[in-house]
Amino acid sequence: MIIEPTAPADVLAAIRAPFAAAGALAIDAPLIQPLGVLLDLAGEAMRARLFVVQGEGGEEVCLRPDFTIPIARAHLDEGGGAGRYTYDGKAFRVAPRGSGRAEEFLQIGIEIYGGPGAPADDAEVAALAWRSSAAGGRDDLSLLMGDVSLFSAFIDALGLADSLAARLKRAFSHPRALHAELDRAQAPAPEPRQGDRLSALLAGLPEAEACAVLEDLWAIAGIQPVGGRKPAEIVHRLSERAIAAKAPRLSEAEAGLVQRYLTIAEPPRVALDQIAELAKEGGLKLNGALSAWSDRLDALVSLGAPVDRMMLATGFGRVFSYYDGFLFEVRSNALGEEAPVAAGGRYDNLAAALGGTAGERAVGCMVRPIRAWAGAERVA
Amino acid sequence: MTDAPLTIGLPSKGRLKEQADAWLADCGFTISAEGGERGYRAKLSNLPNVQVQLISAGDIATALDAGDIHLGVTGEDLLRERGEGLDSRVMLMRALCFGRADLIVAAPQSWIDVETMADVEEVAAAYVVRTGRRLRVATKYLVQTRTFFARAGIADYRIVESSGATEGAPAAGAAELVVDITTTGATLRANGLKVLADGLILKSQAQLAASLIAPWTPSQLASVRRLMGAVEARARALKLSMLTWPADQTARAQAATEAFLARGATRRADGLLAQAGDLLDVAGALAAAGVGPVSVAHPEFAFEPTSAAVEDLTGRLGL
Repeated sequence: MIIEPTAPADVLAAIRAPFAAAGALAIDAPLIQPLGVLLDLAGEAMRARLFVVQGEGGEEVCLRPDFTIPIARAHLDEGGGAGRYTYDGKAFRVAPRGSGRAEEFLQIGIEIYGGPGAPADDAEVAALAWRSSAAGGRDDLSLLMGDVSLFSAFIDALGLADSLAARLKRAFSHPRALHAELDRAQAPAPEPRQGDRLSALLAGLPEAEACAVLEDLWAIAGIQPVGGRKPAEIVHRLSERAIAAKAPRLSEAEAGLVQRYLTIAEPPRVALDQIAELAKEGGLKLNGALSAWSDRLDALVSLGAPVDRMMLATGFGRVFSYYDGFLFEVRSNALGEEAPVAAGGRYDNLAAALGGTAGERAVGCMVRPIRAWAGAERVA
Repeated sequence: MTDAPLTIGLPSKGRLKEQADAWLADCGFTISAEGGERGYRAKLSNLPNVQVQLISAGDIATALDAGDIHLGVTGEDLLRERGEGLDSRVMLMRALCFGRADLIVAAPQSWIDVETMADVEEVAAAYVVRTGRRLRVATKYLVQTRTFFARAGIADYRIVESSGATEGAPAAGAAELVVDITTTGATLRANGLKVLADGLILKSQAQLAASLIAPWTPSQLASVRRLMGAVEARARALKLSMLTWPADQTARAQAATEAFLARGATRRADGLLAQAGDLLDVAGALAAAGVGPVSVAHPEFAFEPTSAAVEDLTGRLGL
């Protein structure tokens, strides 16, 4: 296991200072976390990065890969509501073999629950991450920003069939799946599938009737129903499929709009103008989302983030994440995009997924001090 | 260190052991266990300074990946399960055409709305919304499942690790989907499951593989060259037929068989070494030219001066 070197005390103190001054409660979180909860929230793809440990006869647990979920759990244990927490401790991730990347590393960060709302506390967190990162002395930093909810707004504005819109939104963090979905617009109409006639037939029946038909069908075919889906669920999806089969597919024009939207990566004001133009061209209404971005940028600049180091990339969205709105990374040219100095974003839906109240506002970020420290390369 | 033996991991039990032993014996190498029938170490005839370790197929994959053995015979499914970057640590030297099995994704037959991975993606997303839990996939092939599902853009699922009887997991209520090895699909059907139309993850078979991480000496590499020379020569020979005609008819016979040189046949004294598949065509051409009697023999081995696989290995090891 590779353990990272430590930054000098004065550098660490400078990197910590913005978080210490943020008026947040300093807390720690248990080093070991329930594996199942983490995988449920972060996805199975996260498993390859987790140190999984198990005591004899015990439940599988893992070393905390970051602080967001551990602190969300602690926050909900205290009853939820509003809360500002800052943390400073070791986190653990399995590095790809041969990468030489540290597997035990220091993270400093903040998590804000029930803050004043999207543009304001988004800007506060990103500006904090920026000031803390910059305190490490690097002069090659940039702030890359994206917005998962802006993509959703763009898709909603296209007015597509529900199942298609939902598929596109889910595909956002999976570039390959998204491109497959967009390419399909150019492809010839799909061949009728086995079961299409059955879908159409069942879709025309009342649900109870359709379920009975399905169960008869299983009995006739000698199929033992296994797996945790009830007849009603299968019937429901068959009828959705029948509706989707009749609904128009993504047109080439729509696919083109989405494709062009995803390639925008510019200084934020330029990017917003380009998105606005694209929306105008396609007759799409996303005014609310764009004015929120304008407010966010104003707030960021007023909090000391340099506008000339910012980029807004519409396609930016991390794969293993629970972020559902604004998100960002502070990157260093020297370290590259695989090793962000800081990262964070909005995750309003995380608390609900952990059993808390739905729609609770939450935003947070973390900084890797060793990456922020300008002298780290000389030590390594 | 030049005296250190070449270590080879061979399967210690089951059908794979029988097939691996038979394949080696056919190539001229017989295994003799040290310390009696139940020993875990063995020697190979015709290969001096080789140490055979009889271990499970899974352990062979692990040992190759860790560099604990030089060579091994094991399933490609087990090797691929060793995680990202396998090709930088283990080199597949030769596919062995036995131990065939498909690693597949299977769903309940009763899910008549699910035929493809795209269907699974939609069902998985709906399932997490409805139940707050993710679809469960029972498997012991965690790495390949993860890669395949990521490629299909499926995020809403959980792996349930299974050590045996994976196909039974949906019927037992422990999972909704299964990723497992199948040969005929009969066990899947018996458990109410079907293979997805695009659910083939890997067409697996036994492989002779070399570890790129193990410490290698030139003499160990020379043993590999000897082994591979025979293995490849044997495989080559099985595809060849040696035709011999009376010496006084050679001029006519050569003219009649000219066309087959372009198809891989080579001239021999008073005869032709032809592709086995061309045998009857060559015989027909000779008969038409009035050549006879023509006798046919099958060579046991057909050696070539170099082996592409061994050259490749030598280059990658930098020896």
